[in-house]
Amino acid sequence: MEKGKTILIVDDVDINRTILAEVFKNDYNIIEAGNGKQALKVMDENDKISAVLLDLLMPEMNGLDVLREMNKNGKIKSIPVFLITAANSERLLLDGYHLGAVDVIMKPFLTHFLRHRISNVIELYAHRNQLESIVEEQVQKLNEVNRSMVETLATLIEFRDCESGEHVRRICGLTRILMTKVSEMYPEYRLPKKEIDKIVTSSILHDVGKISIPDGILNKPGRLTKEEFEIMKLHTVKGCEILEQIPHIMDQGIYNYSSDICRHHHERWDGSGYPDALAGDDISIWAQVVSVADVYDALTSERVYKPPYDHDAAVNMIYNGECGVFNPKVLNAFEASLLTIAGKDWISEE
Amino acid sequence: MDFLEELKELGVNTEEGLARLNKNEALYKKLLGTFTGLIENYYVGPDFDEMDYEEITEKAHAIKGAAGNLSITPVYSAYTRIVELLRAGKPQEAKEVLKKILPIQQGIVRCIDKYKAQ
Repeated sequence: MEKGKTILIVDDVDINRTILAEVFKNDYNIIEAGNGKQALKVMDENDKISAVLLDLLMPEMNGLDVLREMNKNGKIKSIPVFLITAANSERLLLDGYHLGAVDVIMKPFLTHFLRHRISNVIELYAHRNQLESIVEEQVQKLNEVNRSMVETLATLIEFRDCESGEHVRRICGLTRILMTKVSEMYPEYRLPKKEIDKIVTSSILHDVGKISIPDGILNKPGRLTKEEFEIMKLHTVKGCEILEQIPHIMDQGIYNYSSDICRHHHERWDGSGYPDALAGDDISIWAQVVSVADVYDALTSERVYKPPYDHDAAVNMIYNGECGVFNPKVLNAFEASLLTIAGKDWISEE
Repeated sequence: MDFLEELKELGVNTEEGLARLNKNEALYKKLLGTFTGLIENYYVGPDFDEMDYEEITEKAHAIKGAAGNLSITPVYSAYTRIVELLRAGKPQEAKEVLKKILPIQQGIVRCIDKYKAQ
């Protein structure tokens, strides 16, 4: 029947555990725990638990504390918990429901009903968990399609700039390294991996506005005149206008990050950047990170107007402020990542 | 008299207890044997401190749950009341219920122990 599934029985009185095990042993694998701490350990070590039959009042750690921990670690979403208790305190039972228990079964229980109630919920959860994993898989595929569309668009633009698409991959790689390091080093900039992934994807479109810059300026071998530079600076604003026209090719989160990065990746920490002359943390941390990534890549790459600098020279120029002033915390993260960046292995990973 | 028949005479609902264990008589008898150990480990006497009885309440609660699951009905009913009274802050009244159930409980325990000794 259900033999592939496992029920965890948690009760400090072994008689109660044995009786419950007897009820379910023909249909399910059984694991027993004598208190809440043991139960949490079992759940940590075994990701195949289909249901927990949980006593409320136990020494060491009671049933409500187990539910609290399951809320913290997220297991309450995928594992149904039944409170099996002789306690008839309304407050305790309500607390149990509020903490996510799916049902309360009073001792002494009626075997027939107990078996059906628990089996039905286990089936429902199994279907729900399966559906959720299918949806997650589809979302993942959709994200991959979105990313390749965005990459294709960015690569086409790069060709105008005499690049081959490698710049996009390098910016993604550098953004991932720096954003992850900043997030690890500074709690005020901490972001979950999912958000960092979105920022990395968003960094692809940072220069999309360059499509609006005339070839004569974009690919000019020499130094730009003041007027030409003013036109070049418009790529930040134009980029946002372009993104506004194609919001449907990306999800809302990526659109928001892309738009912000596009507009603000030439801002500088001291307010000397463009287009809005933002300063300090008025510039989002993701735009600040892409700024450093973009500058490092521009310095170490060949351009129509300059040969490439080597890694050490580029790092010195960034530290010396030759490319503008950056957030000292971002520079610390950059410094802490230098070995990884110099290794170049990260390019192929993007 | 058969062991389960004797328990039935003492008020234990052996049919219900057996049904809870899929009619596994050997296991039911084994768990009844374990129950006497539980009574010993979680002993609740009528001389408990009326100012500090949290631990006694927990023990009574454990006896209640196990007695209920084994359908030792007189013990289950009495301890249900005892736990209610203790939680309601009425230890004196709980003691009265306890004094009445202890001889019955001891009779049940003696019957089980007699079977265990055989």
